[in-house]
Amino acid sequence: MKRLSRIVALSLALAVVALTFTAPAGAQPKTELTIALSSFSAETLDPALQGHNVKYYLSLMFDYLVGTTPEGQPSQAGGLASKWENSADHKRWTFHLRKGVKFHTGEEMTSEDVKFSLQRAMGKRSTTGYAGPLRTLIQDIETPAPDRVVIVTKDPTLIIPTYLSRSLSTEGMVLPKKYIEANGDDGFARKPVGTGPFKFVEQVVGSHIKMTAVDNHWRIGTPKYKTVTFKLVPEETTRIALLRRGEVDVADVSRERVKELEREGFPIHLRKDEAVIHMWWVLAPDGWVAPVKDKRVREALNLAIDRNEVAQSIFAGRAEPAAIPFGLSWSFRDIGFKVTPEMAYAYDPARAKKLLADAGYPTGFTLDVYAFQLPGFPEGKAFAEAMAGYWEKIGVKSKLIPVDYPAFRKQWVDRKIPGAMGYYNAANRDWIGTYALLEKQAYTPSKLNDTVNDPEIDGMIAQVMRQTDRDKINALMRNIFTRLRSEHYGVPVVYVHSPYATSKTLGKWNPGAVMYDLFIDQLAASK
Amino acid sequence: MLRFVSFRLLQSLVALAMLSVVVFVLARTTGDPLHMILPMSATEEDYANARRYLGLDRPYVEQYLTFVGRAVTGDFGTSIRARRPVSELLLERLPSSLRLAVFAMAVSLAMAFPLGVLAAVNKGSGIDRAAQVIAVLGQSLPSFWVAIILVEFVAGRWQWLPAGGSDGFTSYVLPGFTLGWFVVAGLMRLLRSGMLEVLDSEYVKLARIKGVVERRVIWLHALKNALIPVVTFAGIYFSILVTTAIVVETVFAWPGLGRLAYDGITSRDFPVIQAVVLTTAAIVAAVNLGVDLLYAVIDPRIRHAR
Amino acid sequence: MAAEPAGGTLALPETVAAPARGRGRHVPWIPIGLIALFVTAAALAPLVSPGDPYAQSLRNRFTPPVWDERGTWAHPLGTDRLGRDMLARILYGARVSLAVGALAVLLASSVGAAVGLVAGYYGGRVDAALMRITDATLSFPVILLALILAVTVGPSFLNVVIAISVILWARYARVIRGEVLTLMQLDFIAQARIAGAGAWRIITRHLVPNTLNTLIVLITLQVGYVIIVEAALSFLGAGIPPPTPAWGSMIAEGRDFVTSAWWVSFLPGLAIMLVVLAFNLLGDWLRDTLDPKLRQL
Repeated sequence: MKRLSRIVALSLALAVVALTFTAPAGAQPKTELTIALSSFSAETLDPALQGHNVKYYLSLMFDYLVGTTPEGQPSQAGGLASKWENSADHKRWTFHLRKGVKFHTGEEMTSEDVKFSLQRAMGKRSTTGYAGPLRTLIQDIETPAPDRVVIVTKDPTLIIPTYLSRSLSTEGMVLPKKYIEANGDDGFARKPVGTGPFKFVEQVVGSHIKMTAVDNHWRIGTPKYKTVTFKLVPEETTRIALLRRGEVDVADVSRERVKELEREGFPIHLRKDEAVIHMWWVLAPDGWVAPVKDKRVREALNLAIDRNEVAQSIFAGRAEPAAIPFGLSWSFRDIGFKVTPEMAYAYDPARAKKLLADAGYPTGFTLDVYAFQLPGFPEGKAFAEAMAGYWEKIGVKSKLIPVDYPAFRKQWVDRKIPGAMGYYNAANRDWIGTYALLEKQAYTPSKLNDTVNDPEIDGMIAQVMRQTDRDKINALMRNIFTRLRSEHYGVPVVYVHSPYATSKTLGKWNPGAVMYDLFIDQLAASK
Repeated sequence: MLRFVSFRLLQSLVALAMLSVVVFVLARTTGDPLHMILPMSATEEDYANARRYLGLDRPYVEQYLTFVGRAVTGDFGTSIRARRPVSELLLERLPSSLRLAVFAMAVSLAMAFPLGVLAAVNKGSGIDRAAQVIAVLGQSLPSFWVAIILVEFVAGRWQWLPAGGSDGFTSYVLPGFTLGWFVVAGLMRLLRSGMLEVLDSEYVKLARIKGVVERRVIWLHALKNALIPVVTFAGIYFSILVTTAIVVETVFAWPGLGRLAYDGITSRDFPVIQAVVLTTAAIVAAVNLGVDLLYAVIDPRIRHAR
Repeated sequence: MAAEPAGGTLALPETVAAPARGRGRHVPWIPIGLIALFVTAAALAPLVSPGDPYAQSLRNRFTPPVWDERGTWAHPLGTDRLGRDMLARILYGARVSLAVGALAVLLASSVGAAVGLVAGYYGGRVDAALMRITDATLSFPVILLALILAVTVGPSFLNVVIAISVILWARYARVIRGEVLTLMQLDFIAQARIAGAGAWRIITRHLVPNTLNTLIVLITLQVGYVIIVEAALSFLGAGIPPPTPAWGSMIAEGRDFVTSAWWVSFLPGLAIMLVVLAFNLLGDWLRDTLDPKLRQL
């Protein structure tokens, strides 16, 4: 008995000692920056293999040909091209490269690397977002000098600099030609090398990515943090616990927990209108299918939703009602599109029921609603359930079908589930991002993921692509949005704001308004 | 003895081989991984290219044979999602899983032993009843529920212990405790009933008559005999810990095999799914073999049965 | 794990005499009562529940239970994230959990016992083959199988039952086989054979009755396990799909609100604990009364 009590006492003493070593981090000068994210999406470190553009960590290791300000405007200070110009016919784009920029292996970056990177991004193996359009668009890449690259396009275009900038995807990242040729693609994916302010240290897939600062970087000077680590922490409670303990400095948090964190004094940075939560109907192989073929049915489904209530309850007030299907609102100001009060969908279940009756469905119909989680959209399933609930109230029997997103996408692309509803949190983008999206639609021969079948809109998109006149482009895009709204080609629900909580000692940070990028490198900038 | 070992080893290999076919088929029924890695605008040609590049356009039998042929040398192919060799991913995760399981096991044993022995020796007393309550609770509480509560309060609010990741000794505590909680219950009951049985046996009665000190009776004679089923079950529990840690890993962001499998399944990453299932099966088989061996050494009757 | 059977050679008994150590604990009325309560509540859910477990009302979301100052008797246990009544959901969730538990265990035990009986009786190559299949099955993690099914075919009640049964039967097979091996050594089996009894007769008239106790204990103890596994699956998103109320997915839905709306996660967790506890206690008592030899279960 005595032996046992001695053992117990000893264990308790050990426990106390161990606990004192885990006291949360105090306020010492930080050399480490840790960011906890709920999802890494694709985890390969090869920019050409990033099918879905998650640039959070890649933007620290690689530089882009064309830089972007946090507001999404092209910047001559942020890219490897210090300036660029186009020929009069908009078919030749010349980029002047910075001199003296070195890769992490020590070699100097030249136009050969730019050409190599771009060809690789457009190559057969590439799964980047805009490889397709680039392949169709780019005719040739010339390297007249080590500090000059000329891109020759088949058609006149305004958009080459944007494609190769930070504001879209990863095609503009410049990779080391000699290193990749020597080590192969797999070797490069294992130990990526770029010109960015941070060097790759290690990656444990599904756990974290760690990088260390270079001594001095042309873009941000000497980084304020020696190491930056991105941690993958899917469980929200754990992420917040890490924040409270001081183990991470930045964490993305769900909208519903913002209040509790604000009460405790944690700074919250909101990326406003980061995405539009948009629902649509899956098409049949030959287009619309009844009952949603009828415009009145589409309108009815829109009128049945109380967007204000949804924004306040499911999204904890960090959302705004949306009125335009596919409404990428960051572009509206640039193209002069005004969302008037008449365009906002009222909450009118009575009128919705009447519209259904007019269309021939007085007793409603059955609707399959697919429910899935998406990265950055933790409310996914609850949202789908809520929508189904609203539609039930107007007589539409909504069958909730929970799947995971890959399963839904397969059915959507194969067009196996015509008339069913899906949804997405489409990342918001400015006018040129929207233009790029439309171009993707236009130039993709097999339109697997069409959600709107409208020859008039297709025609407008085709016209936009031929234009280099800003005014004409703006007018066409305004018309596209107007028609999307007047024909009710979708159910736009809300624009969501995405909250990022930081530690109390972090300091100033502007996460920016650029797709899938948090401008972490700006946090580390000393310039 | 050698015949026994080699025979059992052969049987385990056969079991693994059967499992490899099953998991090969199952993995491929989950869907198409290309939907996860190709962008929305991918064309038919893009899909065909990717399929060829990843070797997914070969006939199934050929794919299976390639898979098995390489697996025997430790090459589990390349992860479709991470585009890195699966064996590397395994090597990154396996040690974490094993370490967590070992930690959980050690803690459970350290708790189960004194509790089980004390409960048996003081049968019917308050200690015994308390131990039984702990045991039954341990097997009745859902681990993920306990995990969430621990993370929110012990890590988040009171900040006594780390919440996630795997740096430092203390980060093992919460996940290890959550994981091993039910093991304490099981082992403790086993030990208690084993001790009770032995303490009542002729052998112990004889020792007492011979005048052996009571403490020696308990710790030396009784415990030794009660240990046999405990050892067996400790082995089984260990393999359970390694293979069912997925929920704990999810909540505590622990980079182990469970989450690797989960991510593999959700991204339809066939090589990863196959590799993780086979690895965990191999671990279970190895542990079972070890336990059987131990048992055969202790109890010669088993060795000669069939 | 071959235990020395007590009783030795007796003249053709139908059952082996139970060892003299009878625990004789009191009948566990509390666990039995709890189980009866949950089963009744589940069966009568439509009559007893305060409302429709599917009826959502976003304005009433996260209402606390009635004993909190903001609570109301309209929702005695509060409401969840979509304003659905918690008591209703827990009652209907009981149906799901208990149904999964009962079905999976019945299915697994029938198949597993059959396999164990055959393997133990015939021995030799039949036994070896069946045991290898059993081992292979035992080493496949239940949760992964259920995840794969959920991802392939979609999560559903049926898939959960199938996924769990497909792995669970192996446990029964192993234990029953062990029992049968022991029984086969006894004289009364040899005597039955000499008397001309065929396989079927021996299995049904001698082996099954003697393994029934083990089976009953195992079944009772496994129900709790199955309920917890189903809850874990629903927690991971591979279990019973929404909007069907299931205790595991209810805990999952409330996991981010452990401090702000504690009742959403806590109450279903409490329900699971009570039901599983009751089954475990009952199983313990059954084991102690029917056959203490089985204490390793």
